[in-house]
Amino acid sequence: MTENEMTSNDSTEPTPTTETAASSPDPSGDPLIEQSIDVEGTGDTAGETGKPVIESRDLNVFYGETQALQGIDLAIPEKQVTAMIGPSGCGKSTFLRCINRMNDLIDAARVEGDLYFEGKNVYDADVDPVALRRRIGMVFQHPNPFPKSIYDNVAYGLRIQDQTENIDEKVETALKRAALWDEVKDQLDKSALDLSGGQQQRLCIARAIAVDPDVILMDEPASALDPIATSKIEDLIEELAEEFTVVIVTHNMQQAARISDKTAVFLTGGELVEFDDTDKIFENPDSQRVEDYITGKFG
Amino acid sequence: MATREPETGWHGENSDVNHLRGRAFEATCLAATAFGLVSVLLLLLFVANDAFRPFSADAGWLATYAATVVVPLAALAVYYYRLDEPAGEVAYVTSGLPVVGLLLTGGFAVLFIELLSVLEWFALLISLVVAGGLIVAHGRLRPKAALERLAVVFLSPVITMFGLPPTRFNWFVTDTAAALGLDFGLYYRVISLREAILMLPFVPTDWVMLLLTLVLPIAGAAGWFVEKRRESRRDGLAVVGMTTVVAVLGLVAGPLLGIGTEVWLLLVTFAALPLGVYVEGVIRRSEGVRGLAFPVVAVLGVAAGAVATSALGFAGPNPWLDWGFLTSATSRTAADAGIYPAMVGSVMMIIVIVLTTFPVGVGAAIYLEEYAPSQGLMGKFVTLIEINIGNLAGVPSVVYGLLGLALFIRVLQWPQGSIIVAGLAVGLLILPIVIISAQEAIRSVPDSFRQASYGMGATRWQTIRQVVLPEALPGILTGTILALGRAIGETAPLLMIGAAASVRLAPNSFFDVASMMPRQIFSWSSELDPAFRHGVLAAGVITLLAVLLVMNATAIVIRNRYQRTG
Repeated sequence: MTENEMTSNDSTEPTPTTETAASSPDPSGDPLIEQSIDVEGTGDTAGETGKPVIESRDLNVFYGETQALQGIDLAIPEKQVTAMIGPSGCGKSTFLRCINRMNDLIDAARVEGDLYFEGKNVYDADVDPVALRRRIGMVFQHPNPFPKSIYDNVAYGLRIQDQTENIDEKVETALKRAALWDEVKDQLDKSALDLSGGQQQRLCIARAIAVDPDVILMDEPASALDPIATSKIEDLIEELAEEFTVVIVTHNMQQAARISDKTAVFLTGGELVEFDDTDKIFENPDSQRVEDYITGKFG
Repeated sequence: MATREPETGWHGENSDVNHLRGRAFEATCLAATAFGLVSVLLLLLFVANDAFRPFSADAGWLATYAATVVVPLAALAVYYYRLDEPAGEVAYVTSGLPVVGLLLTGGFAVLFIELLSVLEWFALLISLVVAGGLIVAHGRLRPKAALERLAVVFLSPVITMFGLPPTRFNWFVTDTAAALGLDFGLYYRVISLREAILMLPFVPTDWVMLLLTLVLPIAGAAGWFVEKRRESRRDGLAVVGMTTVVAVLGLVAGPLLGIGTEVWLLLVTFAALPLGVYVEGVIRRSEGVRGLAFPVVAVLGVAAGAVATSALGFAGPNPWLDWGFLTSATSRTAADAGIYPAMVGSVMMIIVIVLTTFPVGVGAAIYLEEYAPSQGLMGKFVTLIEINIGNLAGVPSVVYGLLGLALFIRVLQWPQGSIIVAGLAVGLLILPIVIISAQEAIRSVPDSFRQASYGMGATRWQTIRQVVLPEALPGILTGTILALGRAIGETAPLLMIGAAASVRLAPNSFFDVASMMPRQIFSWSSELDPAFRHGVLAAGVITLLAVLLVMNATAIVIRNRYQRTG
């Protein structure tokens, strides 16, 4: 939470680099991405409620010949839940994976344009995607705990990032924040694969927040779960937004309406049609296509 | 609701649906399966009959043992199968564990007799432990110095095992020592810890060294396992304590039984310890306790049979495959011929193969699966390589023999027919198989694990080391062991590189000329004396098959264990 306190700033101007770097705990010694700053990249499209922590400028993504995203301009505010909705194949997951450069792992993917995280273009040549992902955690569509014990799953990120002090304490905190501690505290040595689907997904969230990232990306985190597990995850996401910036992709419009502060609507062809406060999107969208989509006329 | 009058015709009574072709196809497939299995089984029975010659025994002998051993065991087996399945598993394990333990004991006994003295083993192990300790200690003290760690990881084993080559500094040390009238036999190089231990003027007896380096570590591991399983430190310590006490008893019991204290230690470690832990667990859980009757009945039955046959004067069979066959060298007379040197040759060849092919094959598989690009020009090149690895797996073994002959004997001038040449040639032969099976194992690790790891900010190395390899390892091991099973039976490469047709003395260095089991069997097949071609040959084949069976069983056990936990 120290990192979050340190990066939260009332002003909409970019955080002065020196302060951030000086007070940032950097256990791994990797160069952090906010150590240099691009003044042009931030500040000017800040929302009313929080300064943007992630900002894309004319972002295009291609898979081979196919264009998956078309000129996306989007600013995601800090410590809020931003939802991305849209029909299948509209590029919302692709956008999410651009933020922490998970698309790098797909050989055929090609990214053009700029995407700023805390003022630094993450596609600059000097950005190490590994260092970036240590600041931006991710939760996937299907719960994917490692075939290790519950404890080792949560401790995994701490160990690979060399944050080996007070590891027991950090694991406990993460499990408590993920609302899983009471269910698993007596069986931390048990295999994570023995948990139910909903518990596994909360374990994945615990694993992601254990290393105290700035942003958590969630790719349809509840789509593989039953309604009760889903509502637990949704409650959890709203709590997490007090400390983290949460970006969530969902194809469930009610879910977006319930939990998000901001909503981005992507429509077919990888186009961002509208991005605004969730209330506005769902009550009075500017675009007719968005209204058609939300009222169920297509998609 | 009234039941409706059934409408006729729809349910197929008039055979509207034609099953004939399907049934015929099924019957043909069944016939093919049965033909294959039955012919292999018949062949095996035929060879086994030649090797063991059960019918050379008196009918009374056979009848006695049938009554004391076969019938009671069969009755027990039926009982377990029908009424008490957990007991059946207990019976299976308690009969199998001693066999595996005896095989391991035999393996280690051969190792100490032929390959290295107990002192050399002691020095080797201590050096390895010190090297490991250095690496761990460095990791604890300076966890963040990655480059330094790399150096420590590579240098510690080298220094403890091999020492340093001559340098100016060593000259100075050696010259100074010589000037002071000391001669350590240093020869201008820094000797390793291993060599230093070998030079010690006073060494403990073999017995003590084995206790320290073999019995106690294995007992400690077993104790740790028991402690984890039962969550009781007392039980774990009890395991270690009991093993040590029984091992020390060997000082008295070994000579009494005429097996030597060293063999006693090996028996305690590999046969008694696992069996004891298992049996104790069975009794404690009182689950399938009746299964323990099986090995007891087997032992009692054999003893009763021995007493009865000697009392009644029945003569036993005169098998070709007996203790003498396993422990002696080949001979001009079929009755004295044995396979021992060839067996040692095969085992040493397998050691060469494991040490060379396993790291190279697994390394290549990791590169191809985890690092190699799949797109662009390089991607095409990688695809080409993968296709060619598949092709290499199909290249006839005689061609690999030719390659070994050209490369190792003609170019490198290594001794013709030596173990190292045989191991490398056969290792090349199974390398593509190892690569392909390791690739399969790595590919079967779900991508979601990799995604999760990368998403946590893990580097590629951390992902491979901590997520991919632990998951893939059982599969890699299974594939490698099966490939080794193929390697141990290969004959053509051995002929090409000039492995000895038969040797009288077991090899004791990797550069010795040796014979291997298949090569020895091949030379028996061309002996004039039919006793060789029928009896000795069959005994050799059965020995080879038994080794193969043990290796494949190991692979299957590893795979099953993996499936149970995964």
